[in-house]
Amino acid sequence: MSYDDVEIEDMEWNNELQAYTYPCPCGDLFQITKEDLKLGEEIARCPSCSLYITVVYNVEDFLDKKSNKPIEPSKQQPVTVA
Amino acid sequence: MEEYDGMELRELENEEGKIVKHEEEEEGREQEIWSWGAGTDGQLGTGRLQDELLPQLLHFTSLSSAGPISFLACGGAHVLALTSGGKVLTWGRGTSGQLGHSDTVNSPHPKLVMSLNNYFITHVSAGWNHSGFVSDTGALFTCGDGTFGQLGHGDYRLHCYPVEVSFFASSSKHVEQIACGMRHSLVLLRGGSGDEVYGFGSGKRGQLGIAKDKINLVSLPERSCGFEGVKIASITANGDHSAALSADGHLYTWGRGFGGTLSAQMPQRLPTSFRFTKIALGWNHALVLTGGEVFMFGGSHHGVLSNPDKMTPVKHSADSREVVLEKVPGLEGSRTLHIAAGAEHSAIVTENGVLKTWGWGEHGQLGLGNISDQTSPQEVSLSHKFRKEAGLIEIYCGSGFTIAVRTLCRPS
Repeated sequence: MSYDDVEIEDMEWNNELQAYTYPCPCGDLFQITKEDLKLGEEIARCPSCSLYITVVYNVEDFLDKKSNKPIEPSKQQPVTVA
Repeated sequence: MEEYDGMELRELENEEGKIVKHEEEEEGREQEIWSWGAGTDGQLGTGRLQDELLPQLLHFTSLSSAGPISFLACGGAHVLALTSGGKVLTWGRGTSGQLGHSDTVNSPHPKLVMSLNNYFITHVSAGWNHSGFVSDTGALFTCGDGTFGQLGHGDYRLHCYPVEVSFFASSSKHVEQIACGMRHSLVLLRGGSGDEVYGFGSGKRGQLGIAKDKINLVSLPERSCGFEGVKIASITANGDHSAALSADGHLYTWGRGFGGTLSAQMPQRLPTSFRFTKIALGWNHALVLTGGEVFMFGGSHHGVLSNPDKMTPVKHSADSREVVLEKVPGLEGSRTLHIAAGAEHSAIVTENGVLKTWGWGEHGQLGLGNISDQTSPQEVSLSHKFRKEAGLIEIYCGSGFTIAVRTLCRPS
C-alpha cells in the first residue's frame, strides 16, 4: 500500500541524487527521477525500506518541450498510458 | 569485558572506549543511554552506520564527561542531547547543518555544540533536518535546513551553526520552548500579558496556525491564533502536525488531520472531558496520556495499532474534523509515566520501569530483535548489570529510531 500521496510541488529537487525527494518515515528519502516522471511513473521509492509514495503530477509538465510542441495542434491522443 | 545478561558489549576500537555512565558518587546514581532502530546516518550514536534491532548501550567519553543527560530530542536522523549543566551534544545526520558543528557532515558519535558553550541551554527540539535551542535567558537559536523558512531567520538558507532568531531577541518576552516538525517550527513565549505561540516554516497543512487562509511558506515568526488567555504547558510538532497542551490539561491540535480527518488551519481544542498531561506526535498518529492511561488517535498506517479489533473507541463523531480517541490495549494494571512517538512507531514507560513499543518495526525501531510490526505494546528488555536494580527510564523516538535513558539507583 502506498504510504502517502504527495504532490510534486511538495517534493524537493536533490541535485546530488538527481531526483525529486520527500521524507520517508524511516529517516531516508523517497526518490523519483525526471526520467521516471517522463515515463508516467508515479511511484517514488525509498532505497532503505519497503515503503513508497504515490507522486501526484501532470506528466505533460515533464515531457520535453521539443517533442511536445509538434503534437500540440492535434491533441486527441491521450499522453498517459496505464 | 563484562557481559550484561548475555548481551555482549561491543567495545569500539577508537579512543572512546569508555562506557557511558555518569556517576554521581554522592547519590549512587549512574546513567545509561541505549539506542536502537535505523542507524545508517549515525543517529544511534554507536559509532556504527547500521540499523540495530536490539538496544545498544552507548560508549562515549564525550557523553560521560559532559554530565548527566536531562533531555533528548530526536529528529529525522539526528539527536540533540541536553545535559543538566546546560550543554548540548549532537550526533547523526548533519548534511543540512542540523548538528550545529559548523559543517554539513554526519557525526556517528556525540559531539559538543561548541558555539553554544557560552549559553545555558534549557530546551531543545529536533525536526526532520533542523534544530532549535532555547537558553535560560529566553533566547532562541536555530540551525539546519531552512528551505521552508523553518529556521525563522527571514531567509530560506541553511545555517550550519546555531544562529539566534533576532525576531525574539528584540521582544521583551522570553522564549520558553521550541518544537520542530518536518518543515515547520513552533515557539512558546512567556511574558507579562500571557503565553503566546508562534509558528514559521511550511504552513501548507495549517501547521503554523497563523491564519484561516492557506499559507505556503513563512520565514519569520508569526503569532498562532486561538491561545488568548490560555496558559500553555507545552508545545509539540512532528511531521505536518502541531499540538499544544494547556496548563489545565486541554489539548489543542492543528495542521494535518489524523486518520483521514481534514487539516485544521487554526488550533482546535479536542472536545473531550479528559484532561491530558502529555502528548507525543508521530507523522500519522498521536499518543496522549491521561491519568496514567494512554490513548491514541490516527495511526492506520503500518501496524501502529492498526488492528481495529483491539481498539476501544472512546469517542466517535460525525464531524470529520474531530478525532477518535482510542485506548491503547495491553497496558492494564500499571500506570504509564512516559510516552514517545516516532514517525510510525510508539513507546511508553510504566511506573514500574517497564518499557514497551509497538507500530512499524522494519528498521528495528521497536528494539525487539526483529523487523516485525506490532499492533499492541511489547516489552523491550534493557539488560541489567545488577539484579533488582531500581531504574528510571525516559524514552525518546526519532523518525525511525528510539533512545532510552536509564538512571540507575544503586542499592548502597
